[in-house]
Amino acid sequence: MRILLIEPDVVLARTYQAAFERMGWAVDWAPSAQAAIDCADAATPDMVILELQLVSHSGIEFMYEFRSYPEWSDIPVLVHSLVPLQSVAGYDILCKQLGVREYYYKPSTRIVQLVAGIREHVGVAQ
Amino acid sequence: MRSEETSPVTADRLLVSIAEQLKMPLLHIARQAELYGSADHITPDKMLRMQLSAEAALRLVDSYLLGLELAKGQTALLLEPVSLSSTLVDIAHQLEGFARLYDVDLELHVAGKYGPVMAHALGLKAAFLSLGYSLIEALPSLQAERRRMSLRLAAHRTPHGLVAGLYGNATTLNTRDLRMAQQLSGEVRQPFTVLSATGGAGIFVADTIFRAMDSKLRVGRHQKLSGFAVTLQPSKQLQLV
Repeated sequence: MRILLIEPDVVLARTYQAAFERMGWAVDWAPSAQAAIDCADAATPDMVILELQLVSHSGIEFMYEFRSYPEWSDIPVLVHSLVPLQSVAGYDILCKQLGVREYYYKPSTRIVQLVAGIREHVGVAQ
Repeated sequence: MRSEETSPVTADRLLVSIAEQLKMPLLHIARQAELYGSADHITPDKMLRMQLSAEAALRLVDSYLLGLELAKGQTALLLEPVSLSSTLVDIAHQLEGFARLYDVDLELHVAGKYGPVMAHALGLKAAFLSLGYSLIEALPSLQAERRRMSLRLAAHRTPHGLVAGLYGNATTLNTRDLRMAQQLSGEVRQPFTVLSATGGAGIFVADTIFRAMDSKLRVGRHQKLSGFAVTLQPSKQLQLV
């Protein structure tokens, strides 16, 4: 399985990348929305983990761009963000129109919970 | 407070900003502890990463407390002759480990001999450390390609005084961005959208401290790099000696 990890903080990205690689998953790290599009273009991911708070372009802008390509329209996306759910403007749009599968608040989501969520949404056996 | 012009960032907004900013080092520690705790053993370099994150959080709190005192005018800032060169060397030394953590190359450019500047020694150091932490954290997320980021700590002389600053090779800042971010700091979660994915609290803490020293944070350039700078006045007293 290939995961596209969109995470602006390099230290956190490295930590999650190490955790996912321990699961045997390939990980492409993108620190920004543009880098994420480039990564997906180079190798289509099976799952996207998305921070909404990015530099220059927000995660919501990324989702509009990402979903505009038919070949990426069904790729599961999990939001994993520092922004609390109640503060996310347009969360309904993210879920209903842009197909975000689930929201995880980063400070209260352990790696093990995120891994379980990924497994659930891509149908990987536990 | 010495300066007539007060910081646009109030103490309350500074607190909101710092609280947001603190999530990051705490997250580093929590997630790394979870990841490495399940491994057979924790190597010294992994322990060092957690230590550096913890120290970054502690310094942020210290700088915030100093900034808060200054914003409230509780601390009378005594400006005294301070050696800019040795202060910058010390700051570079303190930022070194954190820069390595983020794969950022730290450069020190202090060309020429500078006499002392009028500053508050503790405030000057705290402001530059806060700025440094913010920029080091921000630089990797600004990279267009997978190249190494560098951050330059530099000083140069101008007709208006000595300019000291921190400049990065991935930043393209302008004054409008800074002004807008100052207005939005503490009001929105990500005030400096072109620079940082976080609240960028360190930048506003530095701004508050510089203002209390009769100076002001501004956008600056050094050779081809862009970043933040402050103009400091030479100590006239010691020039006469």
